[in-house]
Amino acid sequence: MDTVQAMILGFISVVIVNNLVFTKFLGICPYLGVSGRIDMAFGMGCAVTFVITLSGVLTWMIDNWILMPVGLEVLRLVCYILVIAGAVQLVEMYLRKFFPTLYESFGIFLPLITTNCAIMGLCLFLNLWGIDNLLEATVLSFGAGIGFTMAICIMAGIRENLNLADVPECLKGAPITLITAGILTMAFMGFAGMIR
Amino acid sequence: MIIQITGNEMILAAIDIQSIIYAGVTMVILGGVFAIVLLIASIKLKVVVDPKIEAVHAALPNIDCGACGFAGCASYAKAVVADPELLGKCAPGGADTSAAIAEVLNLQVSGGGAPARPIVHCRAHTADRTYYAQYSGIESCTSANVLPNVQACKFGCLGYGDCVNACKFDALNVVDGLATVDYEKCTGCTACSKACPRNLIEMVPFSYENMMTVACSSQESGKDTRDMCKVGCIGCKMCTKQDDAFFMIGATIAKLDYDKYQSGESAEAAMKKCPTGVIVYRGKNAPAPRAAGQKA
Repeated sequence: MDTVQAMILGFISVVIVNNLVFTKFLGICPYLGVSGRIDMAFGMGCAVTFVITLSGVLTWMIDNWILMPVGLEVLRLVCYILVIAGAVQLVEMYLRKFFPTLYESFGIFLPLITTNCAIMGLCLFLNLWGIDNLLEATVLSFGAGIGFTMAICIMAGIRENLNLADVPECLKGAPITLITAGILTMAFMGFAGMIR
Repeated sequence: MIIQITGNEMILAAIDIQSIIYAGVTMVILGGVFAIVLLIASIKLKVVVDPKIEAVHAALPNIDCGACGFAGCASYAKAVVADPELLGKCAPGGADTSAAIAEVLNLQVSGGGAPARPIVHCRAHTADRTYYAQYSGIESCTSANVLPNVQACKFGCLGYGDCVNACKFDALNVVDGLATVDYEKCTGCTACSKACPRNLIEMVPFSYENMMTVACSSQESGKDTRDMCKVGCIGCKMCTKQDDAFFMIGATIAKLDYDKYQSGESAEAAMKKCPTGVIVYRGKNAPAPRAAGQKA
């Protein structure tokens, strides 16, 4: 029962309280770049969720079952990059085959998931937080992906409405987007300290 | 691995060969496993693309403007390979692109016509218009157009820039309350003409560098138009007497038939005779139109 509770708490923690975008400021590039429309933002969130879950689990396994026993922690970053790049390639091929329109609308942002620091960040956090079983690593990785999807969808929703607002000339475009992101982050700061 | 650091000097006392081998072997195995997984995936998830579609796609301008009626260049390429009758729909590419696609598809094409470019059928700037009230709602022509009295003229340019937002090429600007086309940047993608809620923007075949146009859409009577706008068309029929290409729609507004239009003296004369100066040139090097109230 304790493990189940820990899982649920961990999941909520990584989705809301320790959201990678809002509290760690990771993955800001796609967060601002692909949040113009909700459907695209959701697609991006799904792609990132898939990649982050796959690479979180794989890197945890590689880290705990290969690198640590052999004493090769120095190879951590290199291995993580390898896993993430491989996972992104897989997603790219899958999308191209089954969702060609989504594949085309992502354009350059799909291969750029490779360099999405939210993913690399989560893989390193799993180690930093001292996660010691595979199930918890899986739940946290998936939660981080859901958290990212939530963040980018909220942002896209706000920006869709912002298109109709009377924004001062000097703040149109990137400035108002950054201000929005800042206010949104402050709103989520209200959750800080609830769990962990 | 043991490294001794003394001052600025770094002496590699001993290198543990074993850990280097371990590192190398680990990376080779990991890399190999991922390579095999990706290889299998690339075979299983292979997408077969017709080389003709790729060649047609390469010939297109690749700006995804949607003038052809398809979502983007890629889907137009697919459609035109399947159905060659769709050739020549690419407005930004024009005749050159059609010829390039025809070469890929082994077809014969000739001609292509003049490239179509948008003309805004209004020439009134803020100072030329009459306003009954001040509009302070959402900055969009579509929503402003819902209100009957946003400006006196129910047919003229609203100047909130729906066309500017629709343009992907930065070729439109609202200059002093009037949407103005930059013909150097315009590709003729028709996005602006679809965006205008008052249907002011007409796609005109530019057979000359500068095209003449009746820059007004007002359907009001001559007197009402004159009351509301200093530069509107009052339906005086002066131009129709000078040049055959001009004709009247009802009794209120003149129009230019671009099939008949020839740049020349009679057209110039019609322009000079126009009492309100609503007949103007639009184009890359169009001469500035007469100011409101000024005689030719």
